[in-house]
Amino acid sequence: MPEIPTQVQQFLDALVSVPPLEGYLVVGAILFAIGTWGALIRRNAVVIFMCVELMINGVNLTLVAFADYLPNAGGLGVSYAVLVIAIAAAEIAVGLAIVLAVFRSRRTVNVDEVTSMRG
Amino acid sequence: MTVAFVFLAGMTLVSALGVVLSRSVVHSALFMSGSFLGIAGYFVMLNAPALAAFQVLIYVGAVTVVILFGIMFTQKPQVRRYRTIINRQFWAGFLVAAGVGAFLAYVLSAEDWGGTEAGNGPREVGAFGRDLLGVSQGAEIFTLLYEVASVLLLVAVVAAIVVSRRKIGGGVDRGVRE
Repeated sequence: MPEIPTQVQQFLDALVSVPPLEGYLVVGAILFAIGTWGALIRRNAVVIFMCVELMINGVNLTLVAFADYLPNAGGLGVSYAVLVIAIAAAEIAVGLAIVLAVFRSRRTVNVDEVTSMRG
Repeated sequence: MTVAFVFLAGMTLVSALGVVLSRSVVHSALFMSGSFLGIAGYFVMLNAPALAAFQVLIYVGAVTVVILFGIMFTQKPQVRRYRTIINRQFWAGFLVAAGVGAFLAYVLSAEDWGGTEAGNGPREVGAFGRDLLGVSQGAEIFTLLYEVASVLLLVAVVAAIVVSRRKIGGGVDRGVRE
């Protein structure tokens, strides 16, 4: 069996090693930030809903990462994530119903044009 | 594991950027399901395979279909110019979001989490189910939360019907007698 150089061996070890907790947390934070950006800049109400779902998924990822990595969490973050998914499903149902109602009365889903409650 | 981590990070974050920046609403919805699939892969890596199945069933399946229905009802699926889909706060919103993301990432990685070892998650589906139903030790509150979530789902279903229902005489009914 040929000798593997030390650097290559270290690189291969790094490739198969378990990623740290901070990696998951940073991915969740970036996903939350991208969702925030979309919710701030897009005009279409349906796309704003999608961006809110992205933010919810970032938070879910953080919860599950904590549940897996922290010994005292007891794995309960996964159960909380199930509840979050249920509440997000309820939110998307009611939210799209509101979007449909607004579209039916105003013929638009552009949030910049729905301004009758502006102070 | 790191290879899978990097692959899923790229898939999730690039698809999330696709949701924000794609010019067609239908493409945004499909990018969103790609991002949810990446998150489901993370759930598998984090010892929660049952939750990954829920994620695929509910998010990739149900939520994407419901959002595609919403798109179908409210607009023509056509590619629009950036000026019509993005408001004037493009760079201001980018600064705010980048600030939020950088702050969250800094706080989360600067915090000392103590002894963190992977593999504490409820890998067995049985243990996960006992946690979710509040049977196992230390998870009694989930008995209440589970019931509250089910009542919330019932209320949401009724509310969605009531909010989006066509009022009697309020629109054109084709072939429906009131």
